[in-house]
Amino acid sequence: MRSNLGGSVIMAANTYDAIVIGSGMSGGWAAKELTEKGMQTLVLEAGRSMVPEVDYVEHVPTWGVKFRGLRDRKAELVNRPIQSQIGDEWNAKFFVDDLENPYTTDPDKPYLFLRGRHVGGRSVMWGRQTYRWSDLDFEANLKEGLGVDWPIRYKDIEPWYNYVEDFIGVSGQTEGLPQLPDSKFLPPMEMNCAELAVKEAIAGKFPDGRMMTIGRVAILTESHRGRAACHYCGPCQRGCITRSYFSSINSTLPAAQATGKMTLRPYSVVHSLIFDAKTRKITGVRIIDAQTHETTEFHARIVFLCASTLESARILLNSATREFPNGLANSSGELGHNLMDHIFKGGASGTIPGHEDHMQMGNRPNGIYVPRFRNIKEKHPAFLRGYGFQGGGRREGWERGSDTPGFGADFKHSLQSPGPWKFTFTGFGECLPNHDNHLELDKTKVDAWGVPALKINHKWRDNELAIYKDMSVTAAEMLEAAGAKDVTISTAQSLPGEGIHEMGSARMGRDPKTSVLNAHNQAHDIKNLFVTDGSCMVSSACVNPSLTYMALTARACDYAVGQMKRGEL
Amino acid sequence: MERREVLKLLASAAVLPALTPDAFSLLRGMHAAAAETPGLKALNPHQDATVTTIAELIIPQTTTPGAKAAKVNEFIDLILADWYDDATTARFLAGLADVDQRSQKLFGKDFVDSTPAQQNQLLKVLDDEATVARKQQAADEAASRKHALAPLNFFGMMKKLTVLGYYTSQVGFEVELHKSIIPSSHAGCVAISGVA
Repeated sequence: MRSNLGGSVIMAANTYDAIVIGSGMSGGWAAKELTEKGMQTLVLEAGRSMVPEVDYVEHVPTWGVKFRGLRDRKAELVNRPIQSQIGDEWNAKFFVDDLENPYTTDPDKPYLFLRGRHVGGRSVMWGRQTYRWSDLDFEANLKEGLGVDWPIRYKDIEPWYNYVEDFIGVSGQTEGLPQLPDSKFLPPMEMNCAELAVKEAIAGKFPDGRMMTIGRVAILTESHRGRAACHYCGPCQRGCITRSYFSSINSTLPAAQATGKMTLRPYSVVHSLIFDAKTRKITGVRIIDAQTHETTEFHARIVFLCASTLESARILLNSATREFPNGLANSSGELGHNLMDHIFKGGASGTIPGHEDHMQMGNRPNGIYVPRFRNIKEKHPAFLRGYGFQGGGRREGWERGSDTPGFGADFKHSLQSPGPWKFTFTGFGECLPNHDNHLELDKTKVDAWGVPALKINHKWRDNELAIYKDMSVTAAEMLEAAGAKDVTISTAQSLPGEGIHEMGSARMGRDPKTSVLNAHNQAHDIKNLFVTDGSCMVSSACVNPSLTYMALTARACDYAVGQMKRGEL
Repeated sequence: MERREVLKLLASAAVLPALTPDAFSLLRGMHAAAAETPGLKALNPHQDATVTTIAELIIPQTTTPGAKAAKVNEFIDLILADWYDDATTARFLAGLADVDQRSQKLFGKDFVDSTPAQQNQLLKVLDDEATVARKQQAADEAASRKHALAPLNFFGMMKKLTVLGYYTSQVGFEVELHKSIIPSSHAGCVAISGVA
């Protein structure tokens, strides 16, 4: 039902070529790709709009927030007891109200579901660490007989990594490591004095090939595609008015907007997808307006579900029909299962002696990276797969004053200069797919819009715990090799979900009997449904996953539009 | 604060090592007295004067402004009124009263009325005690993996709030530390002599 009027396409009310659910990391890419390929696209975002000039707060000083960075502790105890564990006093507003957005767990399976609901999603607050996966990751399940085999290999995704990196801008150092393929890099950020010292001390010292490189990060070190280079103010998680780091607000959504083919609808809480049993296709999306609580339906030829690993599964579970009583597109029974997150916080820290006449200038919004070295050259006796380290060096600042004896003019003077160099390694470890780690709808609880809440069932298993245990050992070894003093082992351990790298709830696979999506992120059961956020992941690797979501999204959009043009969708 | 809550606080002696018998009147008077100090919510004028004096002794005016100029007392008042839980605030106020008691015992005067030399003498004792208490608390917290909201020792709290309040103020950040929100340059590793 279209008519051409004065050059612009007018479509039947509430009808589009494509609907994208979610406007974050993956949804932003789907919006950009689909609109640039000519699709009239509706982007549904559950949360509010974001206006960078108003909402970004990266240049607000400490004296510009009420509690000087300590957060509004008492208020958050009431409405953000969970989300107060992430972010800071400045960007707390980018995380959801826990009372409006409940979820449940069994008492013995605590889970942290940390998220925002606004245009841009978590791409606004993400850590920006950007790493390619390798065939070590894509082949692991097959080789070890775990979960299901990835239906793709590195060669399938490599051109899409190139494509995405060229658009978002990734700074890093070329290293030529097979387990961590190089991206198309902008110039790397500089290591500081302690990091240079540790890097040199580690190099060639360990038979397992441990080495250190600067973090690979979606932050511009030179101007790129109309966006300015980073000015090193530091707190990217509060926004970036110069658009120097990648977020969908800074990059993909403006590109989609520029096509004139995107309709972005905030405050659109998706209730469910509408399935037509005759055509076995999705005909539309049922939403609840977050402000008016009115229900509306939108229609399209294809739907891209990019609401996040947990929310996309929730929408599909809540879209059950007679044909799919256990959740839409769930003939395999795997929907909601195989939930993964990186186990982290293992590691060590210490003091690096010397370099006291040197310092770092500016606030580099990035750290170092030690690529995975376990189970590469030889098999580790205690666990499969491995982990990488993030972290870095820094000189202690005025904060040390609280723990330093003394007071008065000398005390004050001593705090004017930076303190000793500290160095920290924090491990991020792979999580194996396990059917028992799963999501379900809680039959007794709904959110503020009446949508059933998730019950999350996820716990660390033996392999993750063995990986965690090893992190402190190898981190301490590296610090000792660098001559560090006062080496302290981390005793903190992340809860499932705390890594904010949720993956796997609608996995890809070769066999419709054991997976939800095919090699193009297309639902095996429903041809016009694509899921391209972290849900699709078949294994978790140990590196940050966002780049892979973006590449898979762009790849799936290319496939979907190709299929539409050939009349197959 | 309700009488019932005060009794509960007094009963939990483990977390309130410094709570004195004056706590009742202190706590009961807290909100009423606050009205006497314009702009402050937790501290009465005498408490405010004591906090301001101690803060300035920790970070005095030198060639740059000190804690008083940075209005650290107002920050501490905010934390006591709106951030600490009631037990922690009560512990802070009891500790503050204890400073006067010690000052009276040593010098026959309240802290604010003592000479600078006397004030420094008492502060040295408090600081030494806080150092011991900090190490003990760190060991206990590492063992139990439970972290208190604030140092358990009064002077530990006072010093932490003073340092935080000062260096997060505009004076501390810009005048004392010569920092700017948008750095003038960035580099990984430069000699400090080369830094302007």
